[in-house]
Amino acid sequence: MTPAEQKPPTAGEIWELRLYTAGQTPKSLTALANLRRICEEHLEGKYKIEVVDLMANPRLAKDHQIVAIPTLVRKLPEPLRRVIGDLSDTERALVGLELRRAA
Amino acid sequence: MNKPLDPDVVREAEDLREAIIRGELDAFVVGRDDGRHVLLLANAYQRYRQLVERMQQGAITLSGDGRVLYANQRFADMLSVALSEIYSVPLDNYVGVADRARLGDFLRTTARNSRLELELRRRDGVAIPVALAHVSFADGYSTLLVTDLRPWQWPSLTMNVLDLMRASLDQLNRSAGLEQEEREALGSLGEQINGLARLIDQMIDVQGRQP
Repeated sequence: MTPAEQKPPTAGEIWELRLYTAGQTPKSLTALANLRRICEEHLEGKYKIEVVDLMANPRLAKDHQIVAIPTLVRKLPEPLRRVIGDLSDTERALVGLELRRAA
Repeated sequence: MNKPLDPDVVREAEDLREAIIRGELDAFVVGRDDGRHVLLLANAYQRYRQLVERMQQGAITLSGDGRVLYANQRFADMLSVALSEIYSVPLDNYVGVADRARLGDFLRTTARNSRLELELRRRDGVAIPVALAHVSFADGYSTLLVTDLRPWQWPSLTMNVLDLMRASLDQLNRSAGLEQEEREALGSLGEQINGLARLIDQMIDVQGRQP
């Protein structure tokens, strides 16, 4: 483990991630693509992604107090974490998910 | 004494600020509880707007009193007017008197995908047969797709002409005193007409299968 890394997934641990989107808008699609890439690189085989379209059902924003789209929520492992934006800044996304320590 | 801020709340606030500055967002969720709705930023629907502007169907958004709030270029082309002349004009103005009551009824229905065929009237008097289809009705605004039916009618019209030609050929064939060579030429013409009719039939068949 490099010094910058933090909290790698333990054996058998599944990360449950929920991405809140606004339909097929550009940043939402970018966020999903970036999320899949990050998960493949750092959580291979140990993650579940759920996409929630708030255009279709805005009331679901209440569940995780979503104010901006796209927002990624790490439901498991606890504690719950939110990462706002399209995840194009991988470093920021990894820190937000606690897969890497802040520099 | 002020309560110290939760570091997670601070981090999320900074995250949000950074995402806004970097242009990483599509939308905000506004409102509370059951009144929540998604407010899209302009960049989020730019792609759809380009599609609407370039598509081959007319698209219009009408206010509750039937005035055109938005129209794409194709709709303006159907009417042969500039886009700027259409905005805020009642759609009624572009419909023949006989069709206005039906249009009014149609606009009062809010059923998605309901459809109405009528004729748009250009200023030069030319009638354009179109099909109106409700795409959405929200916040008092109706969005309609307008399909120009003329291209769809061409195959049927052509078929009618071919039928007339075939009837004339049959009549000629039945007349006495034709040379063998002339009958062969008429037979060849008949075959070509039949070939064209089969092609048109296939076109009609393909159209019938369109959604």
